Amino acid sequence: MKLLLNLVRKDFKRNRVITTALAVFLILSALLMAGGLRVAGTMISSLNGLNELAVPPEYLQMHKGTYDEEAFENFVETRDYIKDSLIVKMLDISNANIIYQDETLEKCLMDNGFVIQNEGFDFLLDMDNEIAEVKDGEIGVPVYYAEELGIQVGDVITLHKDNYRKELTVATVIRDASMNAALASSKRFLISQADLDEISIHMGEWEYCFEFLLEDGTSTAVLEKDYMDAGMPSNGVALTGSLLTMINNLSYGLVAFIIIAISILLIMMAVLCLSYIIRATMAEENCTIGEMKAIGFPGKAIESLYQIKYIILVLAAGVIAYLAAIPFGDFFSSSVIRYCGYGSGEWMKWVWPFIGVILLSLIVMLGCRRIIRQNLKSTVVELMRGEEMIKKQGHYALPSAGLKHRNLTIALGELKCIWKEYSVIFLVFVFSSFLILLPMNMKNTMENPSFMTYMGVGESDIRIDIQSSEKLAEQKDAAQSYLEHDSEIEKYAIYRNGYVQFQNADGEWEYSRVENGDESVFPLEYLEGSAPDDRKEMALSYLNASELGKEVGDSLTVIYRGEELLFTVCGIYQDITYGGKTAKAAIDFDDNDVEVYIIYLDVCDGVSIQEKTDELRGILTDSKITPISEFVSQTFGGITDNMSLVEVAAIVLSLLLIMLITVMILQLITAREHSAIAIKKAIGFSNRDIRIQFGIRILMIQFVAIVVGTVLANLWGEAIFGWMLSFMGASKITILVEPVTAYLLGPAAQLLLVFITVIAGTKVVRSYHIRDQIME
Amino acid sequence: MIKVKQISKSFKDTKVLHDISFEIKRGDFIAVMGASGSGKSTLLYSVSGMDSLSSGKVLFEGINISAMQEDELSGFRLSKMGFVFQNAQMLKNLSVFDNIILPGLVAKKESADGIRKRASELMKRMEIEGIEERDIREVSGGQLQRSSICRAMINNPEILFLDEPTGALNSGATDQVLTILEDLNRDGMTIMTVTHDPRVAVKARRVLYIRDGQIAACKEFSLGADRERELDEWLKGF
Repeated sequence: MKLLLNLVRKDFKRNRVITTALAVFLILSALLMAGGLRVAGTMISSLNGLNELAVPPEYLQMHKGTYDEEAFENFVETRDYIKDSLIVKMLDISNANIIYQDETLEKCLMDNGFVIQNEGFDFLLDMDNEIAEVKDGEIGVPVYYAEELGIQVGDVITLHKDNYRKELTVATVIRDASMNAALASSKRFLISQADLDEISIHMGEWEYCFEFLLEDGTSTAVLEKDYMDAGMPSNGVALTGSLLTMINNLSYGLVAFIIIAISILLIMMAVLCLSYIIRATMAEENCTIGEMKAIGFPGKAIESLYQIKYIILVLAAGVIAYLAAIPFGDFFSSSVIRYCGYGSGEWMKWVWPFIGVILLSLIVMLGCRRIIRQNLKSTVVELMRGEEMIKKQGHYALPSAGLKHRNLTIALGELKCIWKEYSVIFLVFVFSSFLILLPMNMKNTMENPSFMTYMGVGESDIRIDIQSSEKLAEQKDAAQSYLEHDSEIEKYAIYRNGYVQFQNADGEWEYSRVENGDESVFPLEYLEGSAPDDRKEMALSYLNASELGKEVGDSLTVIYRGEELLFTVCGIYQDITYGGKTAKAAIDFDDNDVEVYIIYLDVCDGVSIQEKTDELRGILTDSKITPISEFVSQTFGGITDNMSLVEVAAIVLSLLLIMLITVMILQLITAREHSAIAIKKAIGFSNRDIRIQFGIRILMIQFVAIVVGTVLANLWGEAIFGWMLSFMGASKITILVEPVTAYLLGPAAQLLLVFITVIAGTKVVRSYHIRDQIME
Repeated sequence: MIKVKQISKSFKDTKVLHDISFEIKRGDFIAVMGASGSGKSTLLYSVSGMDSLSSGKVLFEGINISAMQEDELSGFRLSKMGFVFQNAQMLKNLSVFDNIILPGLVAKKESADGIRKRASELMKRMEIEGIEERDIREVSGGQLQRSSICRAMINNPEILFLDEPTGALNSGATDQVLTILEDLNRDGMTIMTVTHDPRVAVKARRVLYIRDGQIAACKEFSLGADRERELDEWLKGF
């Protein structure tokens, strides 16, 4: 063993650059694997912990206006599958009335409700995951605002309307299991009962959340149907536990998913490089192996001799990566920890990375053993012939017109003959370019206003939401009459949204949201078919159509106000709003049944969207007015922030990989070609010529790899992104590329880095000498 | 033509050449002999500028090539010197013919057509026509070494350096190569060769004997038939 370790030590010394590069590769892949699993473990622990302590409802229905409390109590009592229920009284206060550091929250998309602490379940927790308590004059601020606006304990939030002014001191930051995520459009502030009573006299509108916990095994669809059938209060958004889980998973899980996906890519690259290096090393060692076999060295001993080096390398990389994954994972978990706390299963963040690293080590070690065993299969004579075994590489012809660009001609000629040797670096360059572009393109797509076409509506400039009010129709009429006479508005359309019942695949009747309005004003691109043309047609969102098992041309029966209505499915579109399950049809909703009016509008050329938004906010004070770009960015705020982190990490990682692989391959190839280098120098090529030839070869390969990586990122990127968003309701995403960054700056940075690496990595050419060649 | 002035060469702590001085005249044919490890190949590479010196200088027609930068020196070698190595070192991805013309195309002293024509003539003179398009692993050692001489001659060099040119050849191939060297020298080509083979040395006009990195002896031989016996006698003294 001591002899083996000595040999390994000498080998490491002799191949310092390659060994280091290989070690970094292994460490990086193990780090990402362990880090991704640590993030995933933390996320699950945090979410579970928050859910255990906060006990979020399994079904939540919001409602504004009066309701029959006795009827509600009766409803609960007569349903034995309801474990517990709660009516949360929430005072909705317009963002214009909430002031933090002299600025209102008008720019924020969220609806803000003021509540007292619940009893029984759906607790608002403080940052220690204890049930939060506030005294009179204090306020608990949602963690979302603490993150977005930097609100801290001790800061002052002012509520202001007309002559009334109330200052509340931030006593705690609130974790809310139901409405934590940026994707949830409402946020709850915690105040004392006395303050709530006082404030409600001066401002705000009461909204109620009817919340339920169900007995084990009960479907929320059963409750939802019963609830609607019983005519329970329901003019607001309804949320199910599964929808909340999905929103949370998407908000926090995306980073873990992407890190693990990147680590798998990286592991593939590490295995590729390792196999290349082992083959290259073994090829040079063939003669020695032959000699060892000839003098009777047992095959097992030779195998151990060559394997032990890689085992040491993998184990060292595993230990380093496991330790490095602690700060790495914690950095990427900081958001979920901030929003949800550490949770109850912290063991997961220690055990999962450990299992990941062990698995990775096993994969690499078994891979090494397979390659080494393959090499040892050759006979002594085959091994000792060495050179004769090398396959003929083929020729390239010098141009008959002479060498106008000698280095280019020779580099390309040689590349033609030995391109197989560059397949590993080519693949790594492809992967890296893919890795840089995919998160970049995904983020760019999500940040583009046209992303709203995946939200079930065509492109427009501004969105007006009129909802959660008893005076919806009047507000809508007021908005319409203003818009009608505003010459700066090019066009607008009003959509009425209500609920009708659809029969799901299990035969249960479920409520889904249906939009009724002129679909031609802001035309939407349909996955299949087209928008409804007449009163007999209905378009379904992708998820709705999938769940109902409907295709274009199928007939569909829905129930509205107890009456069966027959429609033909005319089109399927993408929509990630409202859990992905929506429809479009000309249903004449009764004014009382309209849950929300949404107005989309385009401003005329030259009119500032922001100025028009501000103007409308001043006029239509009871409506929520949002520029579409802001609507998209705030809806996906948390996700795009995480995507930015992933984007930066992917760029740094890919550039590091590119540099490493270039150094490693150059080291191997210059060593392998030392004879050709020496000959070239002897016949009159300068060191500079030879280094240029290496540079051309590698940059040429990288150029092709970047093209391939870019095409793959566009093709597969759409498929991967579509797959990720298909769970939300959009299956076919068109990736939007920012051409300057994706096609110019990105490739230029990669090429420049390789260029610099080639300059540094080919210095070794100077030391190759024909004398060494002759002496060998 | 070449003045070698007090050159020394060390590898780490080992001194391989000590203070060597001699001169190569135009049309000369010098053979460097000596035991293995005596420094004879190092001397050849030092004189030709292929290797750097620890001290001393080499003047090629008055130009101090020891002071040249590597890239400048490679251009100088390309146009003024030709090299032949023991194992006929050639590029694997080029045919025999392209290996021969490559230095010519790089130097651009002539047109591409002129270089191809000259390569064909050289191959004809070396009696290796017909192997032009072959892979270097598909020809015999003698053919390859003669191809290697063609490559060394393609730029019409002023001096030919050879390192054990017959070391890897059988006796038939050795004879062919020796005849060529003799012919070239007769036509005025200056030659410096390293060899341990007396059959090569006997073709030279002057033999340097290297021992422990120093010139132990130097002898000029007459052009008579006794040259072989004279060399034998002289070598017996070492």
